[in-house]
Amino acid sequence: MVSVPLSRRGFLAGIGGVGMASLLGACATGSDDSSAGAASTTLTLQSSLSDPDPKAALTKVVEGYSKTPVTLNTIAIETFRAQLPTYLNSGNPPDVLTWYAGSVARDYAGKGFLLDVSDLWTGNGACAGFSDALKELSTADGKQIFVPTNYYWWGVFYRKSAFQEWGVQVPTTWDEFIAVCKTIKSKGVAPISMGTGSTPWVASGWFDYLNLRINGAEFHRDLLAGKHAFDGPEVKTVMDHYRQLVEYIDPKGRSYSWQDAVTPLTAKKAGMYLIGAFITSGVPSDAVDDLDFFRVPIIDPSVPVAEEAPTDGYFASAKSKNPEGAKELLSYLASAPAQQQFIQLAKSSNLPTSQQVDTTTFAPLVQKGIKLLNESKAITQFFNRDSSDELQTTADTALTKFLDKPGDVNKILAEWQASAKKVLGS
Amino acid sequence: MTALAAPPRKKRLRAVPKVVWFFLLIPAAVEIGMVFWPAVNSFYLSLTEWNGLGAAKPVGLDNFKNLFADDIFRGALWNNVIWAIGFGGLSVLGGLALAVALNRPRRGVGLYRSAIYLPMVFSLAVTGLFWRVQYQPDGTINTLLGAVGLESVEKQWLANPDTALYAVLIAAVWRQVGYVMVLYLAGLKSTDPTLDDAAATDGAGPWQRFRYVTWPQLRGVNTVVFAVTVIDSLRTFDIVWAMTQGGPYHSSELLSTYMFQQGFTFLNLGYASAIAVVIFALALIFIITYLVRATKEEVA
Amino acid sequence: MSTATLTPVPAKTAGPPPTKPKRRRGWVFHAVMAPLTLLWVAPMVFVLVLAFRSFDDIAANGTAAWPVSLSLEGFREALGRGTMGRALWTSVQVTVPAVLLSLLLASWAAYALSRFHIPGRRAILLTMLAGNLLPPQILLIPVSRVMESLGIYDTLYALVAIHVGFGLGFYTFVLHGFMRSIPEELTEAARIDGAGVVQIYARIIMPLCRPSLAALGALATTWIFNDLIWAITVLRTEAKLPVTAALLNLQGGYVSNWNVVAAASVIAAVPTAIVFFAFQRHFVSGLLMGSSK
Repeated sequence: MVSVPLSRRGFLAGIGGVGMASLLGACATGSDDSSAGAASTTLTLQSSLSDPDPKAALTKVVEGYSKTPVTLNTIAIETFRAQLPTYLNSGNPPDVLTWYAGSVARDYAGKGFLLDVSDLWTGNGACAGFSDALKELSTADGKQIFVPTNYYWWGVFYRKSAFQEWGVQVPTTWDEFIAVCKTIKSKGVAPISMGTGSTPWVASGWFDYLNLRINGAEFHRDLLAGKHAFDGPEVKTVMDHYRQLVEYIDPKGRSYSWQDAVTPLTAKKAGMYLIGAFITSGVPSDAVDDLDFFRVPIIDPSVPVAEEAPTDGYFASAKSKNPEGAKELLSYLASAPAQQQFIQLAKSSNLPTSQQVDTTTFAPLVQKGIKLLNESKAITQFFNRDSSDELQTTADTALTKFLDKPGDVNKILAEWQASAKKVLGS
Repeated sequence: MTALAAPPRKKRLRAVPKVVWFFLLIPAAVEIGMVFWPAVNSFYLSLTEWNGLGAAKPVGLDNFKNLFADDIFRGALWNNVIWAIGFGGLSVLGGLALAVALNRPRRGVGLYRSAIYLPMVFSLAVTGLFWRVQYQPDGTINTLLGAVGLESVEKQWLANPDTALYAVLIAAVWRQVGYVMVLYLAGLKSTDPTLDDAAATDGAGPWQRFRYVTWPQLRGVNTVVFAVTVIDSLRTFDIVWAMTQGGPYHSSELLSTYMFQQGFTFLNLGYASAIAVVIFALALIFIITYLVRATKEEVA
Repeated sequence: MSTATLTPVPAKTAGPPPTKPKRRRGWVFHAVMAPLTLLWVAPMVFVLVLAFRSFDDIAANGTAAWPVSLSLEGFREALGRGTMGRALWTSVQVTVPAVLLSLLLASWAAYALSRFHIPGRRAILLTMLAGNLLPPQILLIPVSRVMESLGIYDTLYALVAIHVGFGLGFYTFVLHGFMRSIPEELTEAARIDGAGVVQIYARIIMPLCRPSLAALGALATTWIFNDLIWAITVLRTEAKLPVTAALLNLQGGYVSNWNVVAAASVIAAVPTAIVFFAFQRHFVSGLLMGSSK
């Protein structure tokens, strides 16, 4: 008596959504789901790509897949991140999920949440041609659990025309960089934009890079693995450098998300922004050609140059009702045409992991990004990807506090070490 | 027991018809399944360590011991105290003042009342977004302050650890005042106007009349308002989640947001349940206050 | 007083004024109240204006500027790609059955507890009420597990179920108070005429409860419609998110598009505002029942 009107409503929901062309896939299941049990034929792809362009791009890519019907669920990244363990842990989890390579994925693999996709990495598998570095990145306990489909680089982005107006040159050393900041500040412009409001992890960008430039990639990885202390002398040196930057960082950034903080950069109200290549999706199309980036300046020339190149992709849930179907979908998503289609539609300047994608037609900015990564001696992911989301929150707390009160640095580092120990110890 | 002491009504003493049991048991079963059974589980989980996989590992009171050594938890607890006092205090003061001002019918009163309690029909998340816009660095509040020459007061309201909690608090109070006002308007309506008039003829000023005539008659409403605001303030989650997610660096963290983060982001389900139990323990005394009051109503 | 306040109180302060209207200090009253009220509605007006501005206008002039032109861009985006339209419909699908079911079940329990001599009925009633006062936090983790074991996790049934379960205690309590105030003679007469327990419930009790059902209905509608925490606890599919959760989801995707975010919050706020204005009288009396108890 009660269930009848409900399921009719569920059915109507499907019809109600038909008008939204971009979500056709989702609608199909809107009506489908009320009759549970059909789950084994339909695959669910849970996506955290909620920015309009990447979302539309993935929708298009998924529409091109015909073997099994796929429902695309897009959940805003912050909610997605918070709920990911719950998704994976539920009795009827999504089959395939967007996420990133690194410790976090390995962490979930260790808990038994992720589907073993090793066969995609051998023989004719979709990932067999990927680089060894990518394979290593996707491996946990000797098994591959991740399918990387694109990656991007980090750099200090700026507007060429703005640098011309202010009469500054691209800096290559730390001293030059500080000099550039000084000049830009003298023009009444905030030298560095950084949105640490609702996206406090952005503050870890500078931390990672300064650590990579001063102490090197190996130390950085060990630090995030808990083998060094956050209140040790090495990190103190890093923070001394960070402190030199504080006066040049746009104070309004504390209220901004990373996306908000792009606006002052494009409006030439801020000079530079250390951020991932995804920034291009947030820049108006008329300003994209004016956008350029440079490598984070070298501080100690004896330290091998390392860059951050976070890798994105997909993993599948161990509890998927249709593991073979999930693997086929992963193969499709990893294929060169799907990678290329996604990257182009998402306007994000990401780089393909498949070597079969022809990158020569990509924008000059992207070519420069590829070159940057090819020249680097070591690659890291990003703070959370190299450690865990829980350790990331300790970094967020410490670094945003530091940006507010740089004078308290010693106290902040001691607190950071204490909370990191708690996270790593558990 | 009181039920038995009530004067027995002959007809009701007969056996309760079967269908009536059915009427009672279905809702009771739903509530037990959705509320009481989960609640009992939470108590059990709070004594375990569990990441959602496999069996929960009993750890005794460890979670609670760890809680009180956890700075973030203590900060959140303190923030909850500030929140309860600020949220309760401001909305009671505002609501009471407005109720007194808008109690007597005159031209425009209906309009004023509607405007003031309109915000309370919005969800807390909508309220949060409404105010987030105002608090932006170049948003209305800073722009207005700048326009009247108070640039020095301009702040990054939600990004500044000294103001974030209060900025969220203001938004929450904005929504709550109308609710409290409605409660007090009802309370005022049940006061005896002849007492007030008598006091007025005796030459008592408006403040004296309020203090010595009206206020004592509002005691019942006060208890309810008190219990309701404290229970609401312990529940507060949506608005903080929508505005700051507890940041910057936990300065606007409340017990509920910290619990959500621990439970759903980090999957420390045992630890999160322990926080939930603390929230429950704090709410308990006010729940009892409310229930006692409810019982009195029932008996009366 | 108790039963009197349990019955809905008309919101309008009709009735003859006890004293002669005081005209003298009328202007002081309005001089204080008018600006205060304006201040009160200012945030709403501001968001409404923002929702009608274009992205380029906001990007160029900031959020706090006067609009240079009006545009429906924000609404178009929020309802289209932002999926607020679908979310509104989802909310209706959740709210309507949840409100009806809660009131139905609550009226059953209230009928049983108020008209029959069930042992321990006061304890049962207060326990049910206490369940509603529990902080939801204590239920979140187990509730998502319960939904899974029932096989309805991530369905709208789960959301309806938890809303019904969590709200029942309060609705039962209020309806119980009301039903107790219905004179025994009315039902007794019907019983003598041969009406059964169910007929008395359906033909006499429920029609008499109409005002309090309306008031509770108005109140429950806004509560359930405005919910966030249960929705994000038992749902994970974007296509099933009701309005409030969809709004936060959208905010994550349109971070610096303030016009879209503002338009979406207006869309989320409008239905409850309509309920409020349409049922203002019921709504206010619902609040009174809600809490003067």
